[in-house]
Amino acid sequence: MSDRILGAACLVAGAGMAWAAQDYAAPISYEPVGPRAFPLLLAGLMALAGSWLVARPGPQGFGLAREHFKTIGLAAAAVFAYAALFETFGFPLATTVMALPVGMAFGGSWKQSLAGGVVMGFAFYLMFDKLLDVVLPTGLLSFVLGGR
Amino acid sequence: MNRKAALMTLVLACAAATAVAGPLDKTECIAPAKPGGGFDLTCKLAQSSLMQGKFVADPMRITYMPGGIGAVAYNAIVAQRPAEANTIVAFSGGSLLNLAQGKFGRYNENDVHWLAAVGSDFGAIIVAEGSPLKSMKDLVAAVKADPTKVVFGAGGTVGSQDWMKAALTARSAGLNPKSMRFVAFEGGGEAITALQGGHVQVYSGDASEAEQQMKAGAKIRVLAVMSDKRLEGSLAGVPTAKEQGFDIEWPIIRGFYVGPKVSDADYKVWADTFSKMMATPEFNKLRVERGLFPFAKTGPELDAYVKARVAYYRTLAKDFGLNVAVAK
Amino acid sequence: MDTLQFLLGGFAVALTPQNLMVAATGAFIGTIVGMLPGLGPINGVAILMPLAFALKLPPETALILLAAVYMGCEYGGRISSILLNVPGDAGAIMTALDGHPMAKNGLAGVALSISAWSSFIGALIATVGIVLFAPLLARWALAFGPAEYFALMCFAFACITGLMGDAPVKAALAAVIGLSLSTVGLDSNSGVYRFTGGDVHLSDGIQFIVVVIGVFSVSEILLMLEQHRSSAGLIHISGRKLFNLKEMAFTWWCTLRSSVVGFVVGVLPGAGATIASAMTYSMEKRLAGPDGHFGDGDIRGVAAPEAANNASAAGSFVPMLTLGVPGSGTTAVMVGALSLYNITPGPALFTQNPTLVWGLIASLFIANVMLLVINIPMVGVFTKVLRLPNWALAPGILAVSAVGVFSVHATTFDLMLMSGLGMVGYLLRKQGMPMAPLILGFVLGDLMEQNLRRALSITNGELGILVESPISIGLWIGAVAMVVVPPLMRLRAHRMQAADAA
Repeated sequence: MSDRILGAACLVAGAGMAWAAQDYAAPISYEPVGPRAFPLLLAGLMALAGSWLVARPGPQGFGLAREHFKTIGLAAAAVFAYAALFETFGFPLATTVMALPVGMAFGGSWKQSLAGGVVMGFAFYLMFDKLLDVVLPTGLLSFVLGGR
Repeated sequence: MNRKAALMTLVLACAAATAVAGPLDKTECIAPAKPGGGFDLTCKLAQSSLMQGKFVADPMRITYMPGGIGAVAYNAIVAQRPAEANTIVAFSGGSLLNLAQGKFGRYNENDVHWLAAVGSDFGAIIVAEGSPLKSMKDLVAAVKADPTKVVFGAGGTVGSQDWMKAALTARSAGLNPKSMRFVAFEGGGEAITALQGGHVQVYSGDASEAEQQMKAGAKIRVLAVMSDKRLEGSLAGVPTAKEQGFDIEWPIIRGFYVGPKVSDADYKVWADTFSKMMATPEFNKLRVERGLFPFAKTGPELDAYVKARVAYYRTLAKDFGLNVAVAK
Repeated sequence: MDTLQFLLGGFAVALTPQNLMVAATGAFIGTIVGMLPGLGPINGVAILMPLAFALKLPPETALILLAAVYMGCEYGGRISSILLNVPGDAGAIMTALDGHPMAKNGLAGVALSISAWSSFIGALIATVGIVLFAPLLARWALAFGPAEYFALMCFAFACITGLMGDAPVKAALAAVIGLSLSTVGLDSNSGVYRFTGGDVHLSDGIQFIVVVIGVFSVSEILLMLEQHRSSAGLIHISGRKLFNLKEMAFTWWCTLRSSVVGFVVGVLPGAGATIASAMTYSMEKRLAGPDGHFGDGDIRGVAAPEAANNASAAGSFVPMLTLGVPGSGTTAVMVGALSLYNITPGPALFTQNPTLVWGLIASLFIANVMLLVINIPMVGVFTKVLRLPNWALAPGILAVSAVGVFSVHATTFDLMLMSGLGMVGYLLRKQGMPMAPLILGFVLGDLMEQNLRRALSITNGELGILVESPISIGLWIGAVAMVVVPPLMRLRAHRMQAADAA
């Protein structure tokens, strides 16, 4: 069943790629094969593999585990929130905010997760930013740590 | 010591003492490329020169924001970080060309403050050492005689700087750039290899690159440099395109801009700092080490130059049938 | 004779106290960086490159540091592959296939030590290879035209698709997805922007680091989340710490073969540790035939890719040093590092800057010995890093991953893209789709398309050029065999089973 969904998704993706790639033409071209051919070839291959999966789905063995929906949803949301807040909150704070739900999803208590987040946020910041010269955003804490 | 410098020193000292964030405090340079790329080198040049001349107290930090020869960084600065006075962003002639072709999204050249140009490279017409072509005239004559026999190699795509230089050369031979023979390679190194292998006849590359490749033993020859006067160093013997009767100039300047909402005062502090820094012999030594020819312009002078240049690129792109951005 | 003299000169450079210190530091950092999922040699080298320059190290010392980090990463990647089933870096993807099952079977110590040993042999052979064949091999690699390259890449895909025996369609689909992702952004021939949706953030395409970290490290966190309830995760090293002579003899020829293949693949510009390990793994799997239990913890499945990825890492220095064309993403970063010092790698580097070249080569020997020393007896020290509880490790991986993306691509957009690709990767992996072909497709996509188009440009659209040279014909035959033979073999085995049952 879910192989069929994957196959159908590939068919849609292939069709979408082909549709988008249609218009790709160079204003000036010096070669027999332009920028359109390769994406169209890939779109065809993707649709082909997709129809194969729709026609002959493999034995059901994987699929999403329903009992983990909540924790996975929580962790996924935390990942996106981390990405979104990375610059505005700054690395140390964003890491703390991310580590709390993710740590708890992995079975840590809220105290452990929070402590882990704070320690990691600041330790990594010091290691990367101060020691290894990888510039990290300080965001809301810029008044203490400098930077931005 | 003149009064202005004394005042500046005082201001700087105050800024450092009270930790009020002045523009030169905790500076950051955004290199719109991956670490090790050309923009990284530009940032590093500013970083080491500013540090050596003690213009900044803390070493300048470098962040990397690659994409579209500066397009990503341009958008980030204009849209999200317009007022950051201590952040400068590196740009190059390639950025300006892309800007002119509308590849920088919805922004144009009036959306930032152009700060300083610290050096320049120049376009060069390069052939293999054993090539029968000895001058620009020979090349143009050969292109005129049979455009299919002269294949232009380039380290960039259609619409890139290398393509533009080839197109300008073809145009001066009375040829529509659309009908010249052109092969795009992944970067100049590959193009020079193809030149030596005889796969292409001409490479419309850069002077400093040619210089360094020749030092490294590449069997190539420079027919012309696209600068207004002859270059310093080992290419001093190469005539300019202009000298040979072709009015083609192609500087590839490298410099910095700051965000649109940076105050005029901060902008001026930066511009003056760069002017002073570029007058030092240490800077010139570092510049030469990075294969850049002299090209020092700051503040309003650079701003005017950049805008004129972008306008020129826009005309060129239109003439050649490429997409162009409409100036607001 | 000249070579020997130069090499001795190189050892004189490499054995200075400063350079020895730097090599040891690099080896140690490299092993940790390689081990940490999401961080690979490119990140390690890219992070240390500005540091080396900031510390004002002389060029040969800086290059020694970076080379030691690179080799260290190729060593370190295997630790997390084996103990966590998460490849520490792209070159160690294959190592997980058998290394992790071995560890599950209580042979973690053996897997770790034999892989360190074969890494050592691979790197040693390849370094000797650099010394002997650098000019020769470089000339040979030049003989590969666009058509041959295209054939080689098709061969690589055939290998990796044939390799995923149980789901060839899904493997092929993964490769196609990877290739499709690589077409996003500026087309480097025509200058047309493809699949960017008008967003400047995608104008250079999707960054490799974003893809790798997304599909490997972010999706891994979500997968770990399901598994941790069933208490999988880091495997504790128990039982024998060292392989025995029998195991060494058993893997000896496989290690040698893989080292040579890895070296050759590494020399080819653009083809690196990932392809080398994938190629040798499938080669050994095929050579072993029904005797092997590849995928369930065959010791050769650990030795082959590890020998190959270290050999190819060393091999990728050959095109970088002799032609100025980096043989891998990591050596590309090193070329950038050299240009900070105003040194342009090229044919003349050997004569103009022998200190640098031979110092580097000699230090590869030395760093390699150091790595063997710190990777067999001291492996426990490194695994301590991996022994952190999951509630600390998972946020840690995420944080380091985000730093890795941010250090090269300082935009929120790329962090969001990383998260998005992580979700997609998670769903695909849940559906039983292998990720290695996806990454391979993504890495090779641009090269593949450009080579195809360039080949067709030469003949003005005539497809014949693709099967013109003996090299390409050989590669095509190999590719077809890789795709056709395994199903036929399975069919035969199936029939024989049926016949036996009857």
